[in-house]
Amino acid sequence: MSGHIVTSYDQELQNLRRSIAEMGGIAEKMVADSGQALLRRDAALAQAVIAVDQRLDGLQREIEEKAILLIAKRQPMAIDLRETISAIRVSGDLERIGDLAKNVAKRVVAISDQVQLQKIVVGVEHMNELVQEQLKDVLDAYATQDTVAALDVWARDGGIDALYTSLFRELLTYMMEDPRNITFCTHLLFCAKNVERIGDHTTNIAETIHYLATGETLPTDRPKNDRSSFATLDSQPEA
Amino acid sequence: MSATATAAPVVGQSTADESAPVRLAVKDLNFFYGDFKGLKNINLNFLDRQVTALIGPSGCGKSTLLRTFNRIYSLYPEQRAEGQILLDGRNILDPSIDLNELRARVGMVFQKPTPFPMSIYDNIAFGIRLYERLGKADLDNRVEEALRKGALWDEVKDKLKQSGMGLSGGQQQRLCIARTVAQRPEVILFDEPTSALDPISTGRIEELIEQLRGEFTIAIVTHNMQQAARISQFTAFMYLGELIEFGPTNRLFMNPSKRQTQDYITGRFG
Repeated sequence: MSGHIVTSYDQELQNLRRSIAEMGGIAEKMVADSGQALLRRDAALAQAVIAVDQRLDGLQREIEEKAILLIAKRQPMAIDLRETISAIRVSGDLERIGDLAKNVAKRVVAISDQVQLQKIVVGVEHMNELVQEQLKDVLDAYATQDTVAALDVWARDGGIDALYTSLFRELLTYMMEDPRNITFCTHLLFCAKNVERIGDHTTNIAETIHYLATGETLPTDRPKNDRSSFATLDSQPEA
Repeated sequence: MSATATAAPVVGQSTADESAPVRLAVKDLNFFYGDFKGLKNINLNFLDRQVTALIGPSGCGKSTLLRTFNRIYSLYPEQRAEGQILLDGRNILDPSIDLNELRARVGMVFQKPTPFPMSIYDNIAFGIRLYERLGKADLDNRVEEALRKGALWDEVKDKLKQSGMGLSGGQQQRLCIARTVAQRPEVILFDEPTSALDPISTGRIEELIEQLRGEFTIAIVTHNMQQAARISQFTAFMYLGELIEFGPTNRLFMNPSKRQTQDYITGRFG
């Protein structure tokens, strides 16, 4: 697309894009590091994840201020307005993703001295890897305004939800088998829920990309496979 | 003077009513300034009690189009229009149309306020006297009604005998709107009505247009895109004498379907 007659307007939009890209990079690293920290029960790495979240929060505020100022000064229309609003939305999602990764890291610090049930830790880490892929794909789709790639991320989240439900059941089983597992399993369950929520935020970003590129909103009924709300203690664990 | 009862205007319904009846239909309209073709095959409907904004860069033909609706162009012998403009089904380009009657039905407000050099009262009464013979009381009522609809009554009710030229620019413009409204037209044309006014006066005129919409079909030419987005229900984007895109204002400004429209409204036009 050709540039604006006022070139500083182009620069302001470009700055927004750059800040979003920076936030995306930080969020990706936080999610990956929190997964590694959990897998290895690495408290030092977890502390690093917790520390970097401040930078993400700062960037989000910066983007919001820039976007509000741009609306006030330029009164953007059509694609420019959609891009400005999308920057506010996406920065909000990325900030939340950072918070959720930080939550996982905090639990890693809490359980770092407990060594047990590595198999299920691997399960959570696997889910984390799937979410990392979602996040990477959705950030690429945002940079290129690729709706097809965004819709792909949007549709894939159902798989993460299903994985979460099965982890939930597995953790319940371990807790029933031996009450001494409860503390560890509860922490892990929260970790898994946080990772699942990160997946939800990637779908929010995918929806925003669709709006940005087409001016239309996606239907609200995204395929969801998180059945944990309906799983009870007496449900049969899956093999 | 007694307070005049006026129908409550429909205010605040900013979304386009696409089911409103067609008040003014433009069909295959071409317009010529001598040999130069100023409008190329325009087809466009103006819906009843909706505000339609005409936008586009200078020289795109938006004012030319507006000027065909009351045939004000026919003051200039080298200008002519071909095609049809149907006002309630009747072609106003037909030579048999009485121009004075047409201009009473299709009122116009210009960029620069143009009050007559006479009293505020007479500015309004002048046009009414041309068409109707009213007693003093009835005429007073009509003047008050018009000034109220022009959102000027409270500011001028104690100085109706003073010259209209003594009012501020924004008040003069509202006087011109009141003068137009006094004719009880069906359609009101606004040709950049606020481009010579300060922001407060502009806000008053925009508020007024929103109120007038309850009674009249309105077409407005404006260079201010935010203004078009704020006050209109439909927007037509024109370029080089052609109608490029027409649609509900909310859609045209959020998600235009034509590339040229998007480039223009976002300030990318080369």
